[in-house]
Amino acid sequence: MSNSDSHKLSGKRYTSKEVCLFLSDYAVALFGCAATCIRLDRNINRMAAAFGKKVEMFIMPRHIHMTVCQPGEDDTFTYISSVRPAPISFSLNTRLSQLSWHVADDGLSLETARHRFEHMLQCDKETPWVTLTLASLANASFCGIFGGDAIAMLIVLVATAIGFRLKQLMASCHVDGRVIFFVCAFISSVIGASAFILTPDGTPSIAVGTSVLYLVPGIPFLNSFSDLLYRHYICAFSRFTDAVILTACLSLGLCLGMKLMSVGMF
Amino acid sequence: MLFEIIKDALLAAMAAIGFGSISRVPRRSYIWCGLIAALGHSARFLLMDPDVLGMHIVAATGIASFLIGSMAVFISPVAKTPAEAYLFPALLPMIPGMYAYRSFGGLAMCLLGDTQEKFGVYFYRFAENGFICLAILFTMVICAIVPIFTFRSTAFRATR
Repeated sequence: MSNSDSHKLSGKRYTSKEVCLFLSDYAVALFGCAATCIRLDRNINRMAAAFGKKVEMFIMPRHIHMTVCQPGEDDTFTYISSVRPAPISFSLNTRLSQLSWHVADDGLSLETARHRFEHMLQCDKETPWVTLTLASLANASFCGIFGGDAIAMLIVLVATAIGFRLKQLMASCHVDGRVIFFVCAFISSVIGASAFILTPDGTPSIAVGTSVLYLVPGIPFLNSFSDLLYRHYICAFSRFTDAVILTACLSLGLCLGMKLMSVGMF
Repeated sequence: MLFEIIKDALLAAMAAIGFGSISRVPRRSYIWCGLIAALGHSARFLLMDPDVLGMHIVAATGIASFLIGSMAVFISPVAKTPAEAYLFPALLPMIPGMYAYRSFGGLAMCLLGDTQEKFGVYFYRFAENGFICLAILFTMVICAIVPIFTFRSTAFRATR
């Protein structure tokens, strides 16, 4: 049995403050990695019940307002935590969801849960070159799906590779997401528009159109509809607005790129 | 036709795996992302084929999205990954990229157009492509999410 496992089933009773501080950190991390409100609600309630607490949450786009109380006792604690912008990560989402089940089913102590939680946050790293390669191949495949020929696919592959690498570099320098979308769409569309010079009789318009598709903010769009169905209207509207703004930045970059290359849209 | 279906399925699978990697799907789930996308996209391909059912793109996308959502829900407990992790990468190959592109192009040309006639032509292109694009997007997203809400107990116990 590992050191952390020795905390299991300790039967220790925690104050509402201790539980609330952990659950707030957990909620912020889960929300930041693009979990839906229904998942956040379920995971938090599952863990709170395992610690013998009752929880009420108010999920706002930038903050999570949480109150934890001990039923039947005068022990209540409220905490408001800020959501930190973080990259979308279903890997972290999966591990955090697994943690909530471990707390509920295996009776993990708060200390063990906190230890595992912090370990998960530290371990959530991407492998940039693998992602870059797969994203480039994916966008080239897109070009093929939409009817692009082999040369158009090759151009999209290069446009995506350069644009995506730029996106990674700008993100590591903490550049604003909207600027990243604009700049990357501009660069990729300029490279994509070279298809009009290299293969004018082929499918150059498909190459330009698909060269920026790797930037489409699909997950915020999907999550906004999920929140809408779960009646989290403020979060749904916020995620939708975020996605629309990013799409507008993408479109602006695409438009400028095409203007620079004197490429018509039809 | 078989060659077209296989080619379409392979490209959709590759696209789904690539977009799965962007959203940091667990690596063990890449294969499921590819499989769900390939089956979903092939289903839409067949539904739209004039020799099979010849359905409109909106209806075909809705049925294929429901299929993708259902597969994601029932595969998620096997793969121990939330169903949402498969949804976006698998749906992405069905995003009406060219409709969105033509719609945006129509809007840009409307703004740059100098005569009433040209404005009318480009506004029609903007509206036609834009409406189809929005209808596909809304249908796709809602039909894909409905299975998660319908089979909640399965979808939210996947990581147990």
